[in-house]
Amino acid sequence: MQSPSAVNDRRLEKLLLHREIEDFNNAYAAALDDGRLNDWAEMFTDDAFYVIISRENADRGMPVGLVYCENKGMIHDRAFAVEKTAMFAPRYLRHIIGNTQILGEDDNGDIRARANYVVIQVLFDRPEAKLHQVGVYHDKFRRVGDQLKLAERRCVYDNLLVDNALCLPV
Amino acid sequence: MAWQKAASLDELRNRDVIAVDVAGTPVALFRLGDEIRATSGSCTHEFASLADGFVEAEDGSVECPLHQALFDIRTGRALCAPATADLKVYPVKIDGPDILIDLDGVAQPKAPSVVNITDTAKTATPRESLAATPSAASNGGAHSNGGPPLVRDYVWPGDDLSVIPDWVYTDRFVYEREIERIFHGHTWNYVALEAEVPNPGDFIRSNVGPTPVVVARAHDGSVNVFENRCTHRASEFCRELSGSAKEFVCPYHQWTYDLKGNLIGIPFRRGVGGKGGMPPDFDADAHGLRRLAVTSHRGVVFASYAQDMESLADYLGPEVLREFEATFDGRKLKILGYYRHSLPGNWKLYHENLKDPYHATLLHTFLVTFGLMVVGNRSMMLADESGRHGVMASAKSDAKAISGDVKKEMRAFKEGLTLREARFMNFVEEFDSPWSVTMSTIWPNLIVQREMNTLGVRQIVPDGPHEFIMKWTMFGFEGDDEDMTRHRLRQGNLMGPAGFLGLEDNEAIKFVQDGMRHVPDGSHLVKLDPQTPAGTADTLISESAIRAMYKHWREAMAL
Repeated sequence: MQSPSAVNDRRLEKLLLHREIEDFNNAYAAALDDGRLNDWAEMFTDDAFYVIISRENADRGMPVGLVYCENKGMIHDRAFAVEKTAMFAPRYLRHIIGNTQILGEDDNGDIRARANYVVIQVLFDRPEAKLHQVGVYHDKFRRVGDQLKLAERRCVYDNLLVDNALCLPV
Repeated sequence: MAWQKAASLDELRNRDVIAVDVAGTPVALFRLGDEIRATSGSCTHEFASLADGFVEAEDGSVECPLHQALFDIRTGRALCAPATADLKVYPVKIDGPDILIDLDGVAQPKAPSVVNITDTAKTATPRESLAATPSAASNGGAHSNGGPPLVRDYVWPGDDLSVIPDWVYTDRFVYEREIERIFHGHTWNYVALEAEVPNPGDFIRSNVGPTPVVVARAHDGSVNVFENRCTHRASEFCRELSGSAKEFVCPYHQWTYDLKGNLIGIPFRRGVGGKGGMPPDFDADAHGLRRLAVTSHRGVVFASYAQDMESLADYLGPEVLREFEATFDGRKLKILGYYRHSLPGNWKLYHENLKDPYHATLLHTFLVTFGLMVVGNRSMMLADESGRHGVMASAKSDAKAISGDVKKEMRAFKEGLTLREARFMNFVEEFDSPWSVTMSTIWPNLIVQREMNTLGVRQIVPDGPHEFIMKWTMFGFEGDDEDMTRHRLRQGNLMGPAGFLGLEDNEAIKFVQDGMRHVPDGSHLVKLDPQTPAGTADTLISESAIRAMYKHWREAMAL
C-alpha cells in the first residue's frame, strides 16, 4: 500500500516535468522567433536527430526530409548557412507550440513527448501573416546536467505544399 | 441613327453568343473567331432567343434552340425550315472596350467586324481583336489614350532572342496557349517513376501540364495514363495521392472505370421500371476516360496528348539521352520520398534557372565555396538540337584551386567557410560520367537532378502564368546500403524548398516574377555570350541555352 504522499509526489513530478517541457518549448520558439539560431542549435544533444518531414513521407515510411540533421554539428551547419550564406527575402516568423503531451520514458531515460506547432510567417511586402507550416513535434528529451535537451525532434508537417521555400528552422 | 453601345468586349471573351437589349430591340451578339456579328435577337419562327441557340463557328451559323431552325449569322439568311424569314443583321464596330451597333445601318457582308488591329485611334473604322488568338502583328502596341493597349500585340522585341518580353511570363492568353500547344501538344510529359506503381492496381495522381491525370498499372503489366476527370460530369474522381485499386469509381454517381480507363459501369443505365436511364444508343466504349500515349525509359514514365510521338530517345536527342542514361543507369530505383512546394513565378523560369550557369556561380554560396560549380571547373551547358532540352553539368574541383581574381568576382565565395559535418558534401563516385553534378531540363515539365549523390526528378505543374507547383521525387537505388541511403538523405539538405541551394533558387524565381508583374510592357535581357546565338555554350558565363529554349518556344507557340 502506497502512502498518499508518494502518490502525490509522482503526480507532482509528472506535472513538473510537463511544465519543464512546456518551458523548453517556449524558449525554443523564442530562440527561433528572435533569430538566435546558435541558441536554438545548443538546445540539442550532441547526437541529436532533427528532421522536418512531410506527413506524406512520414506516413509512408519514407525518410526524405526538408531538413535532415543527424547530429548537433549538422544543426549548427544549418544555423550557420541560414545566417551567413543563404539568400532569401526578409521575413518574421512566429512559432506557436501547444498541446504538449508526455508519452513515456525510454529504457535509456529519454522522455518521449509530442506537441503541436504552427509557424506563422510575415513577408515584408504582404499585409497578411500566413500560416506557413502546421505540424507535430515527435520528441525525445534527455537530461544533460541540470538542463533538458532534445535528443530527437521529428517535425512532421501536414501542409502538403510548402509555400515557396522554408528558409528558417521549425 | 447613331452607334449605340450593345455590350463590352469582355462579355464575349469566353462566350460565342450573348443576348443584349439595345434601345428596346433584342439583339444577339455573336463571336465567330475574331469576328463580332450582330443579328436580331429572336428566331423568326417562334421568337426563341438565339442566344440560347447553338453556334457553329466554322460555317457561321446558329441553330434555334426550340425547333432547330438554322440561320447564317453573317447574312441573317434563314437556311432551313421551320424558319422562312431572315434575321436582321446590324453593323458592328468596336470602340475601346465597347461593342457598338447601329440598328438602322446596313451591315457590310464582306468586311468582318473585327480584325487583328490594335490602333483604335488612327483607323477610320475602329477595329479590334479580342486577343483570344494572339498574333504576332507588327504594328508595335499603340496606346490610344496613354494607357496600356486594350489588346496585347505579342510582338517579340528585336530580331534576335537577346531580349525577352515580360508577357511571355505574365499573360493569361499566352499561358492558355502554352497548355494547348506545349503541354497538350507534341511533347513527352513526365508523369511518374515506374517504381511508384510496381504492382498491378497501383496508381498515383499526376499531371500533364496543369491537367490532373492518373497513372495506373493494369493487370497486363502496362502503365496507363488517363485524365482524372469523369466523362459523366467532369468530376476529378481520384483523390488519393497514391494507392492500389481494382477499379476507379467516381464518388459522385459511381461511374466505374477499369485500370486502363475504360468505362465499365453506369448505375441505373437502363433506368428503373422502364423509366429514366441513359439513352439506349449510349456507347460506353466511346466514353472511357481520355487516355494519353505512354512511354517509359529506364523506369521513367512519360505521357502525351499527341498520338504520333517519336520515341523518347529521338525526342531527347543523343546528347541529352546520354546524360539521362548516365543517371538512370539501369539500377532499380528506390523512392526515398517527396518534396512538394508552390512557387509564385512562371513555370518557364524554372527551366531558365537551370539553363543559366551564370547564376550558379554567383547566387549559391554552397556551390562556389565548396567547389561544386565554379568558373574554371570543367563544365558544360548543353542544349539539344531543338533547343528545348538542356543539361548543365560540372565536375567538382578543389575550392583551394580557385584563383584570387575569380574569388573577387564571386561575392558568394566565403573564404574559410567550413562545415562541422563536412562529409555531407562528399561525392561518392557511382556513375559512368565525367560530371559530379548534372541538371537536365527535359521539355516541358521534367528536371533530372544528379547533384553528386542526391538524386531526384522534379515535375513542373503550371498553375496560371504566375504560379506553379513542383513535385520532387527523391530516389536512390535498390542495393544502396544504409550508409549510402543516409548519405543521400544528408546531401538532400542542398535541395528542395529548404535546401541550401533549393531555397535560394525558389526565392530568386519569385523575385523575377515580382519584378515583372507590376511593370507594363517590360522586357529583360539574356545577352550573355553573343558568340553563341542559341545552343550549347562553351562557357558558364552564357545565356545561349535560354535563347535556344526561346527559339523552340516561339516555333511551338507560333509567336
